Amino acid sequence: MRDSSVVPESVTPSEFYMNLLSIGISHNTASLDVREKMWMSNEEAKEALKQLHGKYFNEAMLVSTCNRTELYGLTPDTQVDDSQLKKFLIDFKGAGDTVKPEHFYGSFSGGAISHLFKVAAGIDSMVIGDIQILNQVKEAFNLSTEIGVMGPVMNRLMQATLHVGKRVRTETSICEGAVSVSYAAVELASKIFADLSKKSALLIGAGETGELTMKHLIGKGIGNVKVANRTREKAEALIASLGQNGNVVDYENLQEALSTVHIVITSVNSPAYIVQPEHVRSVMKQRSNNPLFIIDISVPRSVDPSCNKVENVFVYDMDSLSAIVDKNVEKRKAEIPKVTTIVREEMVGFFKWHNSLQIGPTIHELTEAFESIRHQEVEKNINRFKPEDRELVDMVTKRIVNKILHQPITNLRNGAQNGAHGTETLNRIKALRDLFGIEDKENHDS
Amino acid sequence: MNIVALVDVLVVVMPVLYTVLVGIYAASFFGNVPSIERFKTPLLILTVVCHVLYIGVRTVAFDHLPITTVFEIMTMLAACIAIAYMYIEVRTKASNTGFFILLLAFVFQTVSSVNIKDLTEIAPILRSRLLGFHVSTALLGYTAISLSAVYGFLYLMLYREIKSSRFGLIYNRLPNLEMLEKMSSKAEVFGFAMLTVAISIGLIWLPRAFENFSYFDPKLIGTMAVWILYAISLAAKRRFGWQGRKMMIVSLIAFGFVFLSMTVINMYMSGFHSFY
Repeated sequence: MRDSSVVPESVTPSEFYMNLLSIGISHNTASLDVREKMWMSNEEAKEALKQLHGKYFNEAMLVSTCNRTELYGLTPDTQVDDSQLKKFLIDFKGAGDTVKPEHFYGSFSGGAISHLFKVAAGIDSMVIGDIQILNQVKEAFNLSTEIGVMGPVMNRLMQATLHVGKRVRTETSICEGAVSVSYAAVELASKIFADLSKKSALLIGAGETGELTMKHLIGKGIGNVKVANRTREKAEALIASLGQNGNVVDYENLQEALSTVHIVITSVNSPAYIVQPEHVRSVMKQRSNNPLFIIDISVPRSVDPSCNKVENVFVYDMDSLSAIVDKNVEKRKAEIPKVTTIVREEMVGFFKWHNSLQIGPTIHELTEAFESIRHQEVEKNINRFKPEDRELVDMVTKRIVNKILHQPITNLRNGAQNGAHGTETLNRIKALRDLFGIEDKENHDS
Repeated sequence: MNIVALVDVLVVVMPVLYTVLVGIYAASFFGNVPSIERFKTPLLILTVVCHVLYIGVRTVAFDHLPITTVFEIMTMLAACIAIAYMYIEVRTKASNTGFFILLLAFVFQTVSSVNIKDLTEIAPILRSRLLGFHVSTALLGYTAISLSAVYGFLYLMLYREIKSSRFGLIYNRLPNLEMLEKMSSKAEVFGFAMLTVAISIGLIWLPRAFENFSYFDPKLIGTMAVWILYAISLAAKRRFGWQGRKMMIVSLIAFGFVFLSMTVINMYMSGFHSFY
């Protein structure tokens, strides 16, 4: 599956042309057991890149996360067979039993760049708008720089990719709104309380989501952590795993704890409600009516929903949190068109640069060739002129050459700067080189 | 251009400036237009500067501070609200409550601009220095009460959204409940203190200054009602731990009284204290 069609709508694929190849597997094409076989540590990625560099690629980069392993490289010519690369990667990981070439997708030129930009923008992620992926892509580029397999093109590509990521984060709201239940709860907490470092949270029970919510709260700087569990040892073990100083609260003293904490997370398996409105009412008196945020992630619920009717008490359960998450996911999806527009704009910018990259040397060599002809002819015939006219002859011939070259050079530059005429610019360069006999330096040198 | 002509121009310019200002803050709040964000603070500063200039020019042109009629007071109040908000915005870098607060300044300024008269002659009694103190403390008090009410209103809106888990613009754009409550209560305490001073000066000075002084003057009763309401709520906060919703409702009711006392009572009920 080679996709070079993912390019700006207003131009054809051939106008965005360069020898960039990309292959990879991700959550879109492979299940977790396949993806984890292809996951590469930094050391493995370095080794793979070293082996690939020179053999298949002039410049290369490899990004590997739990959701994707992707290889990007600049090939010496257009005739690279990506099946060899797939085989290389599978063999490198010794994953032939699980991973098949069909799990890979590939793209070339504009398609590869568009894919990379979309990955960095977070719209190819499992969770749309994932903010971690940009850092992972950045680290991948840095890794290539470290081992010297980056070059001018990949360097520029790195800048453009990071620019896409930055623009997406500042110009769209694709990363906004919590998209997990635990994070939605934390986001709500920060809409109720001003400074979480001065607040305390109590976790009742030991469910996974409850623990995750507490971890997020700790990440947001919650001041004080308390854990209550029917077995004290479990509570102590949980506090240790949270990596934060905290207190164990005895199950019998729950009421007392409720009167001092600001956030309560319940994640217990209980046939009846463990928190009732009358508890909450009396607790609110003890706590001078200070706001109390109760996050009930137990299924079935462990907090009577009518507690929410008590003033300054905010109760959220799994259903209401999931509803927030669903809405946020929809909002993020609605931002995708804006992100795609940014990707297009950045692609145009990148190709503008890439096209101009090839023009510089051609203009230089063309001018040199003309100058050399002029110089030879002037040298040959200069004695036919009077000594006082010789300087004038030199000047006039220079002017003639400059004037002849002015229009073609201007047109060539303008064509490249318009960005969307890659093929035409390449054809012009080729025609110029052929017509005026400018030899390809690399061929000439070899 | 003579100075009275300049006043006439600024009388029209001020509501226009506030309209544009409120429009930009509204677009930013409701429309989330990132391109206009950078115009907000500069335009706010420009409006405040023009407003201060307007008050200065008025004072020079008519030889008195614009504090002698209700419409003069209104433009002063609008300026105080805008200045107080500018201070908050520059200090906290949070501009999302701007629309709601500046809307009040806009309303006061527009009502003032439409009705204000060019008074060169004022009652000699209004030239007293004590009047300056009385009015400026009352103005600061009213400004604080207005701010407290706006933050209280926003608190109640956000409280309702969080309670009912229906999240809209208010939830997305506003700061958290605790901060809104803090802003409202701070403004309330400040407003209460200023009002206490204004009323004290008034009670000492007014009976001496006005022959027809009466303790049953409607405006006096209205202002005392606000003061008593605040006093009770602040006591209830200490004594019964009133906070959040209840306190915010009190601050809204207090603002209602202030608004009534400035408008209806001042304009339609006669009394020694109405200068309309």
